[in-house]
Amino acid sequence: MRYVILAFLPFLAIFVQSTFFNQYSIKGSIPDLVLIFVVFHALFTGEKRGTIYGMLCGLLEDLYVGRFIGVNVLAKGLTGYIIGKTQGNVFKENLLVGIVAVVAGTLINSLAVVFLMMICGGVVKVEVISSILYQSLYNLLLAGPLYLWYYYSTYDGWLRMDRGEF
Amino acid sequence: MFRLLGNKLFWLILLVVIVSLVTMSQTTLPRENITVLEKAVHYIYTPLQNGIDGLGGHWGNLRDLFSDKRTLHDRIEELEKRNAQMAVDNQILREYEAESKRLQNLLGFQQDSLDLYDLKPAAIIARSANNWNKNLVINVGESDGIKRGMPVITPYGLVGRINSVSLNSAQVSLITDREMAIGVILQRSRETNGIVEGIGESNQLRMNNIPYYSSIEKNDRVITSGLSSDYPKGIDIGIIERVNPEPSGLLLTAEVKPAVNFDRLEEVLVITNYYPPVSEEQEGEQ
Repeated sequence: MRYVILAFLPFLAIFVQSTFFNQYSIKGSIPDLVLIFVVFHALFTGEKRGTIYGMLCGLLEDLYVGRFIGVNVLAKGLTGYIIGKTQGNVFKENLLVGIVAVVAGTLINSLAVVFLMMICGGVVKVEVISSILYQSLYNLLLAGPLYLWYYYSTYDGWLRMDRGEF
Repeated sequence: MFRLLGNKLFWLILLVVIVSLVTMSQTTLPRENITVLEKAVHYIYTPLQNGIDGLGGHWGNLRDLFSDKRTLHDRIEELEKRNAQMAVDNQILREYEAESKRLQNLLGFQQDSLDLYDLKPAAIIARSANNWNKNLVINVGESDGIKRGMPVITPYGLVGRINSVSLNSAQVSLITDREMAIGVILQRSRETNGIVEGIGESNQLRMNNIPYYSSIEKNDRVITSGLSSDYPKGIDIGIIERVNPEPSGLLLTAEVKPAVNFDRLEEVLVITNYYPPVSEEQEGEQ
C-alpha cells in the first residue's frame, strides 16, 4: 500500500498543480507539491531513497511538461539527496522541521533548475527571482498541514514504514 | 573515493545524470514530435483534466443559480448596454471592411485578415504544472487536425502557439512564457517595430528593441507585425502601460498589459490554416 501511495502522490500533485492551483496562483506562481513530497520522503527515509524518489518524481514531471526533459530529474534528485542527508540529525516530531525543510528544498530545487537551464541555453530572466520567492511562500503555507498528514501517515497510516526503514 | 567507485548506486546515478544532461540539451527547443512516453503521460492525464473542466463548469452553473438576483440583473443590464454599443460599432466596422476590401482589390493587395482563417474552438483543460513554463492544455489534438506551430487566439487577442500535440490534447505555449518572443508594431503609428517577450508573469509582457526616437505612448495598442512568420499580422497583443528608457539611451522598453486575461481564460481558437508568407528569396529556392 505504501508504495502505491508513494507512486500516486506525484501523479496527483501534478494533476492538482495543473488544474486547481492555477486558479489560485500568487502573481502567476503555483506551489510545487511534487517537491514537497520529495522533501518529506527524503526527510523520513534518508539521502539514498530521497535521491531515487526525487529523480522518479522529476521524470514524471518532465514527461508531462515536455521541455528540458531531465531538469527536474536532476534538480529534485539533488534536493532529495541534500534534504535526506539531514535525516538522522533532525527532530521530525517538530512541525517547524518540515516547514524549514520545504523552504530550503524549494530554494535548492529552484537554484538547480536555473543553473541547469542556463547551461543548456534556456532563457532565464531576472523576474525568475520573484517567481522563486512567491513559490517559496506558497510552499511554506502548504508545508504545515501536509507535513502533519505525512508525519501521521508515516507512523500510523497509509505510508507506514517497516521497522528497518526508519 | 575507491569505495564510491565500487558502489553500484553511484554508477546508476552517474548514468542518470549523463542521460538527463543529454535529453535536456535535446529538448531545449520545441520538437516536431514528442516521445511515446510523453504521449502516454498526456493520454493518462487528458481524460482526468477534461473531467475536472466539466465539473468546474457544472459548479459554476450551480453557483450562478444561488448568486444574488440583483447582481445578476445589474450584470445583464450592463451587458445589454454593451451589446447595443457593439452592434453599432459592428455596423461601422462592416462598412469599413467592405471599403477596405474594395480598395485592396483595386490595388491588388494580398489579403491578410483574420476572417480568412479557419478557427477551431477548444476548451482549456489544464495549465502549467510548474513555474518555469507558462502553457495551457487544450482538449483538441492530433485527431482534430491540430499540428505543432499553429497560432492560438481568442476574440480579444493572441494567446500563443501549439507547442506539442498528443492524440486528444495539445499543449499551447503562452505569449507570457519566458521563452516566447513575437515581432510587433504599434497599431496607431504602424512605424514602431519591436519584440514582445514574456516574463513569466500571467498579466505582464515586455516590449524590447524600441528605437529611442519612436512615437510610443501610454495606451498605444500593440499588434503582431507578421514579420516573425509564426503569427498572422494584426492580432492584438495588448496595450502599452509604461515606457522606460534603457541605460544605453539608444533603445526603449515598454511594459505591455496583455489584451487577453490569461487568469480567466476558458476557451481559445486555434488557427488551423495559417501558412506563413513565403518571401521572394524562399520562392526562388523552391
